Amino acid sequence: MMHIPFRVVFEQRGETPRRLSLIVPLVSVLAALFFGALFLLATGYSVFDTYTNMFKGGFASFNGITDTLALSTVLICTGVSAAFAFQMNLYNIGGEGQLYLGLIGGAWAGIALGDHLPSLIMVPILLICGALAGAAWIFVPALVRSRLGTSEIVSTLLLTYIGASLIKHVIYTPGSFFRNPNTSFPQGRRVADSASLDSFGSSRLYPTFFVAVVVAGALYWVVKRTEFGYRINVISDSPRAAHYAGINSRRTTMMVMSISGALSGLAGAMLIVGPYGKIEPSIITLGYGYAGIVVAALARNNLAVIIISGILFSGLRVGGNNLQVTTDTPIHIGVMLQGAILLFALGGEAFRRYHIHIVRTQTQPNIKMSA
Amino acid sequence: MNDNIWILMSADAIAIATTLILAGLGALFTERAGVLNLGIEGILLASAVSSFLAADASGSIWLGLVFGALIGAILASVHAVLSVVFRANQIVAGLALVIFGTGLANFLGKPAEGKTINTVIEPLSFGSLSDIPVIGPIVFGQDIITYSAILLAIVSSRYLFSTRPGLELRATGDDPATVDAQGLSVARIRIRYTMFGGALVGLGGAWLMLAQSAGWHQAATTNGLGWIALALVVFAGWRPMRIIFGAVLFGFTLQLPFTLQAEQITFIPSAFLEMLPYLATLIALIALSRPGSRNLLGAPRSLGSPFVRDER
Repeated sequence: MMHIPFRVVFEQRGETPRRLSLIVPLVSVLAALFFGALFLLATGYSVFDTYTNMFKGGFASFNGITDTLALSTVLICTGVSAAFAFQMNLYNIGGEGQLYLGLIGGAWAGIALGDHLPSLIMVPILLICGALAGAAWIFVPALVRSRLGTSEIVSTLLLTYIGASLIKHVIYTPGSFFRNPNTSFPQGRRVADSASLDSFGSSRLYPTFFVAVVVAGALYWVVKRTEFGYRINVISDSPRAAHYAGINSRRTTMMVMSISGALSGLAGAMLIVGPYGKIEPSIITLGYGYAGIVVAALARNNLAVIIISGILFSGLRVGGNNLQVTTDTPIHIGVMLQGAILLFALGGEAFRRYHIHIVRTQTQPNIKMSA
Repeated sequence: MNDNIWILMSADAIAIATTLILAGLGALFTERAGVLNLGIEGILLASAVSSFLAADASGSIWLGLVFGALIGAILASVHAVLSVVFRANQIVAGLALVIFGTGLANFLGKPAEGKTINTVIEPLSFGSLSDIPVIGPIVFGQDIITYSAILLAIVSSRYLFSTRPGLELRATGDDPATVDAQGLSVARIRIRYTMFGGALVGLGGAWLMLAQSAGWHQAATTNGLGWIALALVVFAGWRPMRIIFGAVLFGFTLQLPFTLQAEQITFIPSAFLEMLPYLATLIALIALSRPGSRNLLGAPRSLGSPFVRDER
């Protein structure tokens, strides 16, 4: 058997040094970018062009910044959706599907109510309907998770595929309520004018951005300061302690998962009142719900930090999409980098939690003869 | 009603089941060692497109298959290192792998979009046996990988339940502390089987690409098969033989919409038929769970939790 002359020792840290909490994520991002650069070199694309164009497209221009904030609106919602459940070890990874239902819920209200109410009432109604639809979509997974212990990971994910079929169904079926009746080409029917918001100036940024930030902040407060938040913390730290403390973990599971579903639904409804104004079937290829998981993981499920990680992440994505116009590098490098950043961040997490050092081991170990 | 279409459908269902058997066995070996790898979908996609590129460049379909398996093992090793060595959250690590694999597949697949490959994996020839009505095309009309996958499931079952290394593997997933006390390296066993599992998944992805699809279409190739494979392992109670059964069952539900469409049975909306495999999986998953039934089902007891000797 091969003998390795050293051993890696993981020593649990009593307390994480503050500087590491900042350095580790930063180094993770840099490491992922470095890895991306090597990959681009190996596949024969220009590293410099790719990265400068991504940066310009995502952060360093008026359109870049506003597009980044616009996209972050959705990603903050799906990120908070993921993190809110993840912090209680409930892995709702079907935010994508709940977002689809949010599209349907929002569009339904926007079409069914017609142009009678002022925007100030209409827009919140759409957002609430979207959130309710998202919560409805997670109802079965939440119920069987809390009653039978069925893995919510697989069930929420399977429902995403079912949701995607549902979106296609409501748009491609002739005579569907959600389909534009005036065109033969399958298209979503527009919601009432009063249900559509205007973007700021010439940008594509909508006021829903502030709703997303406020929602993230409010839930941060709920988790840190309220009794409900306290219950979540106790259950995630020690289910047994929660049980003896008389906390109803079933009900809390239902509540947390429902809120998580509602937040992804809200993200879908925001797409309706904001940029799209109708159900656009191509939304199901964009993966905003999945991206929320990455945003949440990068922020280590801290609901306030998600605002920052959401914006950074959108920048990466907007910059990646910009490549389509400016270079011949496939835009999918953006998605790849997202995955790579998360993988490096997970690896880096170990350096935060453990003091890792390498110990030399001799081939002939000196056996210490102590008492 | 045209009988031929139904026979073809059965043959196709078994063919699709091949990917599910391979990916399911891959997930099974990984999970039996106590590692939860949710990245199956990403591995399937990445190995599918790399096998296509390798086969396209070399002209050899077999090289493509080997390359697909290799990429699968490499990607799984990332997961193994993160979850075993770095003790990262395995769920998030798996999801990161899905995102990374999807990006990688689409990035690499961009130049290959719309291309088709000339050589295909031919079905094995059993002479006149393949001409037997009904049974012929279903039982004797498959290619070598399909037969190998079924054989592999049978061998895996023997390996898992009747050999010493199989016992060690099961013990690693159930009770790593005991394995450690026996002087075996839990980390090494876990890394080994996670990579082996990844190679099987990669082979499944490569086969799906080279035998099933004519060309690479962006992200449409796997269509959630990786997730179905994960549910399949639960459905099969972590037993290889039941994987075959479950895979064929899911193969049928996946194939049904096309057949019904061909038969022009349209009273069921096609969107509903599209949902069917996912719906069936979901219902099976719920039906199999009862309060506290995790161990009854046969889930490895330490699945998803890292082994730390000094924190025992």
